[in-house]
Amino acid sequence: MSDHSIHVAMPELEGPPTAPTAMAPRPVGKPRVRFARLVPNTVMIVCGVFFVLPLLTLARFSLQNVPTILLGSSTLFKKWSLVGLTKAFSDPDFWPALRLSLQLAAGTVVLTLGLLLPTAIWVHMRLPRARAFIEFLTVLPYMIPAIALVAGIFVIKPHARWFLNSDLSLIPFYVVLALPFTYRSIDAGLRAIDLKTLVDASRGLGAGWLTTLRTVVMPNMRTSIISASFLTAAVVIGEFTIADTLLKETLPRFQATFVGREPQAGYGLNLLALLLTIGLFVTLSVLTKKRDYKRNSFTRQLEKATKMTSDTTP
Amino acid sequence: MTDIIVAEGGRTVGAPPSVHRRNWAWLGLVPFLGFLFLFLVVPAISVFSGALKDNDGQFSFVSMRAAFTGQNLDAFWFSVRFSAGSALVGVVIGTLLAYAAATATRPRWLRNLVTAFSGVAANMGGLPLAFAFLTLLGKQGVLTKVLKEAGWDLYAGDFGLGEVPGLIVVYSYFNIPLMVLITLPAIDGLKQSWREACANLGGTTWTYWRRVGLPVLAPSLLGGFLLLFANSFSAYATARILTQNSLIVPLRIAFYLGGDINAGEDAIGFALAAWMIVVMVVCMSIYWVARRRAERWRS
Repeated sequence: MSDHSIHVAMPELEGPPTAPTAMAPRPVGKPRVRFARLVPNTVMIVCGVFFVLPLLTLARFSLQNVPTILLGSSTLFKKWSLVGLTKAFSDPDFWPALRLSLQLAAGTVVLTLGLLLPTAIWVHMRLPRARAFIEFLTVLPYMIPAIALVAGIFVIKPHARWFLNSDLSLIPFYVVLALPFTYRSIDAGLRAIDLKTLVDASRGLGAGWLTTLRTVVMPNMRTSIISASFLTAAVVIGEFTIADTLLKETLPRFQATFVGREPQAGYGLNLLALLLTIGLFVTLSVLTKKRDYKRNSFTRQLEKATKMTSDTTP
Repeated sequence: MTDIIVAEGGRTVGAPPSVHRRNWAWLGLVPFLGFLFLFLVVPAISVFSGALKDNDGQFSFVSMRAAFTGQNLDAFWFSVRFSAGSALVGVVIGTLLAYAAATATRPRWLRNLVTAFSGVAANMGGLPLAFAFLTLLGKQGVLTKVLKEAGWDLYAGDFGLGEVPGLIVVYSYFNIPLMVLITLPAIDGLKQSWREACANLGGTTWTYWRRVGLPVLAPSLLGGFLLLFANSFSAYATARILTQNSLIVPLRIAFYLGGDINAGEDAIGFALAAWMIVVMVVCMSIYWVARRRAERWRS
């Protein structure tokens, strides 16, 4: 130990020689903190400005009816109103587009959960060996981006018109696009609850499979199911690539074309869409934080329990 | 496929192997695998089958080659340039920002704010982002006007939100936060004791970063770069709103798919998409390897 403090003292030679406590092993780097924070703090401030500015100017364009050319100190506080935000709602094309997007979102959420929950539970219960394989499959959509997927759809199109002509045919492709997020969310939920023990306990007490799923597994999965649904909804409501190339009149398509007709209201609509997405993700992060907390306390209890049993059974 | 199963199986499988039961359990995956086959694998393979045909429907490399020559090659080069540039900016600034957030002590909420905002902004590509930047840096943008009045006319040269520098700026908006999310766990994994050990051996801060910090972070940085590159290379929505620039590969694919073009030319669109999938697979595979290496230091 004393050996070490000698080495620590070395950089202190630059400091004031009168400091007798220099021999004590101080946390390294502490004395120069003020100077060392210069770079990180600058980065933080510059980033803060960079991330906030576009949002502010988007808000200004939506809420203030003054062209940028005329913008100056005399006009800065004039002509602010909420008209830009509400005008889109009276456009005849808005409601059908919103309806289609909500239908797609609902369909995608239902299909995602119906497909992923049983699969993920099955893998955790019966096929833990397949977990890495399934995880690999769920990140495949990263390798086939939406624009490439849509190219594939165009190749198939002549053979599957009966299916692709329907607006709702987008649902399975949206399930695929959201897969990397949704599967991870459900998988994390399953990992956190020690499914096997819970199911074994429930089955040991005489519950059937359905009762176990309904009263034991689902309540424990609530947060991860909700966050998977939120993520899916966010992906679907913002998806533009596939809808645009297949000419399906979803909300994002409307957002893009409406700007051409009504610039201010169009930007206002995009501001609303942005706020909606931010709201979804903030709710989501609050939810996941709660789950992490729960998970930690669960693991801690488990550790305590195993420690106790191992203490009593030597 | 087998590799992955063996790697995972070594730890988790405790039950004695029962051939009968195992065969039956795999059946539970049929709905999921069938779905993925129909809606992911079939379209992906179709891209290649569409790309590898000539006008008469015979197998040929004509379109694949055409998609990699002339204007199409220019498009690939242009896309690689702005994607690599934007990934580089994302890696450098994202890592610095993650480091700043991880080591900040003063306002305690700062770190949470940075991570929460990163979670949102990393997913904020698409239309609203493009429109937001049009109001900031477009021809009628507020910042454009402010800079002009300060004596710097952005649009005097060939600046444009659809050119390389413009795209780098806009894509940084989701690339930097994505990088923060990727590197923050790695930066948290840097142990204080390593720094102390380095100092004990007489090393300076510079030595620490050059010999310990950066080598440990290297796999995360490389992986992050590839992910950001892939992210920028395949982004369609943002670019579509910002510009008509047909040198951006995803816009070019859409042009070939939907445009009024000569028969047989749509195969070039498929071939472009096929090349894009090749680029993505290469990037994501290296990313995967890098991520495995990065996880070695976490405990």
